Amino acid sequence: MKTAFIFKAVLHNIRHRWGVFVISVLAIATAFTFLSAVGNITFGLASTAVNSSLSYPLIIGPEGSSDTQLVMSTIFNIDKPQGTLDYKIYEKLKEDKRVTAAFPIARADSYMGIPITGVNSDFINDISKSFVLKQDGVDQENVLSDEDLHRAVLGFKIAQRYGLKTGDQFVGSHGHVGDENAHSHADFSYQVAAIMNPVHGPEDFSIYINFKAVWKIHERHGEEAEEYEEHEGHEGHEGHEGHEDHPVQGKVSAVLVKTVNPVATSELEREYSTGSGSTATDVAKTVRRIVQYMNKAESAAGFFSYGTLLIVLAMVFVTILMAISERKKEMALMRTLGIGKMSISFTVMIETMLVTMLGVLAGIIAGHFMLWYFKPLIDFNLGINLEPFFFAEVELQGIIITLISGQILALLAMFRIYNMNLIEEVARD
Amino acid sequence: MNLVLQNISKKFKNPDGGDLEILKDLSIDLKSGSVLRLKGPSGSGKTTFMNIVSGLILPDSGSILADKIEITRLSEGDRDRFRAENIGYIFQTFNLLSPFSVIENIYAPLAFAGKLPADYKLKALEILKEVGLGGLENRMPYHLSVGQRQRVSVARVLFANPSLILADEPTASLDAVSAKTVFDSITKCRKNGATVVLASHDRIFDDFKADLVYDFENGRIL
Repeated sequence: MKTAFIFKAVLHNIRHRWGVFVISVLAIATAFTFLSAVGNITFGLASTAVNSSLSYPLIIGPEGSSDTQLVMSTIFNIDKPQGTLDYKIYEKLKEDKRVTAAFPIARADSYMGIPITGVNSDFINDISKSFVLKQDGVDQENVLSDEDLHRAVLGFKIAQRYGLKTGDQFVGSHGHVGDENAHSHADFSYQVAAIMNPVHGPEDFSIYINFKAVWKIHERHGEEAEEYEEHEGHEGHEGHEGHEDHPVQGKVSAVLVKTVNPVATSELEREYSTGSGSTATDVAKTVRRIVQYMNKAESAAGFFSYGTLLIVLAMVFVTILMAISERKKEMALMRTLGIGKMSISFTVMIETMLVTMLGVLAGIIAGHFMLWYFKPLIDFNLGINLEPFFFAEVELQGIIITLISGQILALLAMFRIYNMNLIEEVARD
Repeated sequence: MNLVLQNISKKFKNPDGGDLEILKDLSIDLKSGSVLRLKGPSGSGKTTFMNIVSGLILPDSGSILADKIEITRLSEGDRDRFRAENIGYIFQTFNLLSPFSVIENIYAPLAFAGKLPADYKLKALEILKEVGLGGLENRMPYHLSVGQRQRVSVARVLFANPSLILADEPTASLDAVSAKTVFDSITKCRKNGATVVLASHDRIFDDFKADLVYDFENGRIL
């Protein structure tokens, strides 16, 4: 009965000041929603990065490339490749017994800011065994045939984003994404031969063509540039400068390698990093480093979220102290009726606990439902495969911090009541 | 309840830092079932006296013996329990707990003390009828008139059936009907054997025979 009365008093106090109660709960919930979003998006990013890195343990790139640059440009389609690599390296790797599969990567053009990547049919079959759409007459096993260098295979989300279907034609811009010298390349159009099923990785945002098409474009490009320079007497053709990184005949941007085991990866990394005109990077190691940076970013965002939470909790505490002042007379009356300090203090403590717990609960629910609601949008635009109902570590830390802070605030409020001489306060009125 | 106060003194601090002596060496011996009437102007110390007797505040010196229990030696929690179980306090105003309904206000103090009788609801309803508030048991205090509120606080005292009643201007600002109800209730408690300490300027209590009168203005027993 005593407990029921204490809860009744708490509910009454909440009803009496429902506006402040709701605002307090919402403030905590908002801060917590932010924390949930940060935790899940960072986790989604890291998961996407790690999953993508699992397929190809080794990348061989041009000499002088940094590990991060190689991984970013080859796996995630971010950043430009640094120079070119001899195609013979790919052929040599393909014959190596420690290699289960090797795929040449040639990068040059882009479409609407998306890099167009030159690969072969084996690579397409390796990342996606099935297609959403495939043009009639296109062989499943040889979708990027050497017979038709105008064929393009699109990642699921790129096709969706730009409304491209099989048979549609598009023209790339010559030059890497972000090149100041990039320009339209209307004389070499691509036709969508197939659209891959979603693989929930950067491949969904990729455009693939035959790597030999990249060679052909640059062969034509070189001839045009030479012709232009000869006829016009120009030393450098604007728009064709700075293309020394583009793979021409016999060159590729990088080679993706699958190995028989981690020892082979390690050996090959060492061999191809020392004086062979190439650089090799262990993808897992590099991605781990990238994820560590992400974790640092998560921690920074987490600290910001915790800071916000603590400010909100301090505000809640101030409103509770104001409520205590408002209720001083009523508390004095309770004391005169023989209701103990402890019982009165419990009403304030429970109220504070309710505010923090409801705030945390509402924040978690709102945060996860918000992620669930925006998942398609985030997936579509950023390529981050979120798990909306995954419970991130930062959330657990947030819950512990909020509840402990809430309890400390509740205890402080309780002490304030406990040490307040209510009767003397009233007697002095 | 037998009440023996010996050499009770109480000072408060003035805003200017000086001492304001409210009670000085006050000694009163009150037998069980008797009535002590307190007289004196506002601010003379009547309420402070009641707060000390109830154990709400402690005197600076002196002792209070209530049926052999030395109140000044009880812990704060024990004084709370003692008050809930033995004392009925009726104030001029400010007397109901706003979170609770009329009936809950009646049994709240004993509920918090964990001393509710088995048939508490039935008993509370009977007392409400007795003070003319039958049918209003589920109303909230803020839906009642001033007179009705005071009758609820009297009903609370009747429900607890305390051995000591402290009534501080219990009929001030009340209409005649409510004042009569309060008067009848205090009279009933007295007949039941409760000791009564009353401070009132209301003429309704002119016929309420006191065994002892203490005048705070002169600091003397009349």
